[in-house]
Amino acid sequence: MNEPILVPLDGSKQALAALPVAKVLADIERTTLHILHVGEYEVPEEELRRRLALEAPMLNSFSVGSRVGMPAVEILQVAKEMKSRVIVMCKHSGSERARTLGRTAMKVLHDARCPIVLVPPERGARPWHLHHVLVPHDGTPSTSGALQPAAQLADRGCAELLVVHVADVKAGPTEVGSLTTPRYVDQPQHEWPAWSSEFVNRLGCICRLGQLRVRMFLAHGNTAEEILRVSETQSTDLIILAWRGIWEAPRAETLRDILRKAQCPTMIVRT
Amino acid sequence: MITAFKASNLGLQGLAGRLHLVELPAAPTDEPGWILVEEGFTVAREHEVESLFAIGNGYAGSRASLAEGSALSAPATFAAGVFDSKPGSVPELAPIADWTRLSATINGHPLRLDRGYNLEHRRILDMRQGIFWREWRHRDEAGRITRLRALRLASLADRHLLLQCATITPENFSGSLFVDATLTGPVVQVTNSGTTIAMAVARRVMNATDRWTPSRELINGRQGLELRLGETYRLDRVVALHTSRDTGDPRDMARLHVERAIENVADLISEHRDAWLARWEASDLRIDGDPAAQRAVRFAIYHLLSAANPQDDRVSIGARSLSGTAYKGHVFWDTDIFMLPFFILTYPEAARALVMYRYHTLPAARAKAARLGYRGAFYAWESADSGEDVTPPFAVAPDGQVIRFLTGEQEQHISADVAYGVWNYWRATGDDRFLVDAGAEILIETARFWASRAKREEDDRYHIRGVIGPDEYHETIDDNAYTNCMAQWNLEVAAEIAKLVAHRWPESWQALSRGLGIVSEEPDQWLQVARDFYTGFDEQTGLFEQFRGYFGLEEIDLAAFALRTAPMDVLLGRERIQRSKIIKQPDVVMLVHLLWDRMPPEVRRANFEYYEPRCGHGSSLSPAIHALVAARLGDTALAERYFRQAAEIDLDDSRGNAAGGIHAGALGGLWQATVLGFAGLSLGGNKFEHRANLPPNWRSLSMRYQWRGQWHELTLPEGTEHGKAEDDS
Repeated sequence: MNEPILVPLDGSKQALAALPVAKVLADIERTTLHILHVGEYEVPEEELRRRLALEAPMLNSFSVGSRVGMPAVEILQVAKEMKSRVIVMCKHSGSERARTLGRTAMKVLHDARCPIVLVPPERGARPWHLHHVLVPHDGTPSTSGALQPAAQLADRGCAELLVVHVADVKAGPTEVGSLTTPRYVDQPQHEWPAWSSEFVNRLGCICRLGQLRVRMFLAHGNTAEEILRVSETQSTDLIILAWRGIWEAPRAETLRDILRKAQCPTMIVRT
Repeated sequence: MITAFKASNLGLQGLAGRLHLVELPAAPTDEPGWILVEEGFTVAREHEVESLFAIGNGYAGSRASLAEGSALSAPATFAAGVFDSKPGSVPELAPIADWTRLSATINGHPLRLDRGYNLEHRRILDMRQGIFWREWRHRDEAGRITRLRALRLASLADRHLLLQCATITPENFSGSLFVDATLTGPVVQVTNSGTTIAMAVARRVMNATDRWTPSRELINGRQGLELRLGETYRLDRVVALHTSRDTGDPRDMARLHVERAIENVADLISEHRDAWLARWEASDLRIDGDPAAQRAVRFAIYHLLSAANPQDDRVSIGARSLSGTAYKGHVFWDTDIFMLPFFILTYPEAARALVMYRYHTLPAARAKAARLGYRGAFYAWESADSGEDVTPPFAVAPDGQVIRFLTGEQEQHISADVAYGVWNYWRATGDDRFLVDAGAEILIETARFWASRAKREEDDRYHIRGVIGPDEYHETIDDNAYTNCMAQWNLEVAAEIAKLVAHRWPESWQALSRGLGIVSEEPDQWLQVARDFYTGFDEQTGLFEQFRGYFGLEEIDLAAFALRTAPMDVLLGRERIQRSKIIKQPDVVMLVHLLWDRMPPEVRRANFEYYEPRCGHGSSLSPAIHALVAARLGDTALAERYFRQAAEIDLDDSRGNAAGGIHAGALGGLWQATVLGFAGLSLGGNKFEHRANLPPNWRSLSMRYQWRGQWHELTLPEGTEHGKAEDDS
């Protein structure tokens, strides 16, 4: 199998929201889907298709599998065995609505070695497309971990890459090689186009942008709120975030807020 | 990171005296105070390095791009005054063919910084000699070690010539070298406005037996050579640049020019160095006790000198000089207010060319005023070759919004700024010929603009409504103190000059007044308008209100934003910043600086103390002026803090600000902060005085300056606290 996209489904209607997203990603990446069900006992494929409410016409090419055990553990194990390119799953099931992420999604996010796309269950089974990929960038090289997959995905999907930089009242990043908002803006009519161009040029040093359409956005205020605002005003289809793997406060504040409120799917890339 | 560096580390110390022909025909300056060094290679910084290490001679300027290129290289060469425009966009400096490109392969392997291993790599800006140096030892994947040295200059002795020399030494191998020294881009191009730019190039290669391969054998600039272990080979490339701005047949002129030049490369370099040394003799400023400050001031002087050309009075210096594409080469008030004082006092010939540019663009300023229904001259906020206003009316902000910019219509103080520069030039140089032939006309036409622009209102005072002052955070404001006071000053000075010219040069005055249609009572009318101008000054507090309603705006404590990485208008948004007292750059404080002698000491201090804490320094022009005024007020510690901030704008840039070119206005401001601030030289009145307020670690400051044709030496501190230069009044 060619590094399939793994889609864990638990039989709930909410979980099916991952399918349209996974299908488009599989088309873009020219790979297959593997749908995984984890339960207390093995389920034959036909039964699984029925139980998961899968209709053959909606999927071109997919395989279905069933495992017995703890859902997160089995999802991670299958992802490892199949060398999954990405895991696409719903953020939480219906009973976990109050949470940012369900228990299974949280565990998978924490331990997955590949990127994970978390889909809000409210999307339902509506078709999904990829026209705009949004990647926030704070100017630090470590954030650039999300840039490469974002640029590649946007390029392969013929989508536009939107880069958001949120200016902060706090001290700038100290990481070597960081590029932040200009300290001086003498004449905005000249400075902003020049700065945007420089920012994108520097991103181009980090990852190959080629002919990719890139638009730069500068925002100010609360980082998560601004990312979400730009995401909504620009009709973003996917937000891609870099994450260092620490979930507990005060770290990952932006990630938590975006996962809680984003109306579009979010891809998390570990750095 | 840019550091000071001893050239002896390069193994080049004293090289000039024992040069083998095949070595580079010069050596870097061996004093840390004269050089900037960029060690190693960080690709993300390339655009900044290209700007900071740019070379220029006022006729042409070239960014210090890597000859072989990199993922982020943006080589660019510009000819001053040559603009081009595409339909629907404003004119911008026309980029011309990249003459610096030089790539090499050894046994088929490209020599690049991103291939193999860089044993050593440094670039040096030699400010004393006006030369950009490069030293590189590279080991390729096969273990071949190659040493390269190169120099690049824009001749100050012959401004049409650009020169590059490079040596290559195979340290541990013999092999095949292929050099590509072709120019990137057309050698002859014609801009949309019809200007022809012609370059002619000559090259030669010297091998270890000192035999030159003449340029005709370098077919199309490409050549193969067999390198022998340990031997050095040298490539010289000379480019002559002429345009139809300065000659009828630029192609022939360039061709003839370069043929002569290639035969005398060593002389060409020698003459260039002598020209720079002579320039520094006049313009250098020595600070003992503070190497960082010394380097920063020399950096400022270097780039100002690189941008000036006394031989061409139809060009001026753009906000980013010829060091980058940002600001499109447009000329702002930066030149008249921030850069000009340096030239007036140390290079008056160049200063004359700059003020004459304003004379040559006077017709466009008249047309702009007439178009808006005013008399006289309303100068362009952004000016290119013709003087027409080329301010972009719209731009896409990084938040995606299309923003309309009002500066071209509302930053009307530019007319008074131009007049101020003209007045300063004439007063410091005593160039009466300029005053009679050009300066008086500028002063009169700008005064006429103000007399028609200001309206008498019910309070019997003259008001100017709907402008932007130097603080561009507040738009469409009424009675900006800076604008009104500078207009008032302009009107008074014009009246004074009219009387002076009429008295001393009656024939010239007759011709001028006839040509401009000046009626005899007009100067008195200017004085009356000036007398009745509303200035926003409050006798009780001694404060100028920056504009009508400013004192009622929201107070925002800037201390809460002390660690910010973005300008305040970005953090608060345009609407909120307009409702607040936060200002972008000195406005009333700028007025204090420019009209220092018209204000009593307590007024200067009161206004500085009120406005300084409210300034967000969103402009690169801001810190230097605060340093200057703080120093003149005697607050040396605060002045020094602002001086450091101003010095860091380009030199310690890490936010991409300098990527599009150096900040020429800020560099002029840094020089002013040093000379008019710490040294306390005063351009006010008829006497040239100084009152030093040197930072405690500055053991001494010395410089030369010219005042009315006479050179003066100034060394501080003197025996007494107050020094006085020659009184030439």
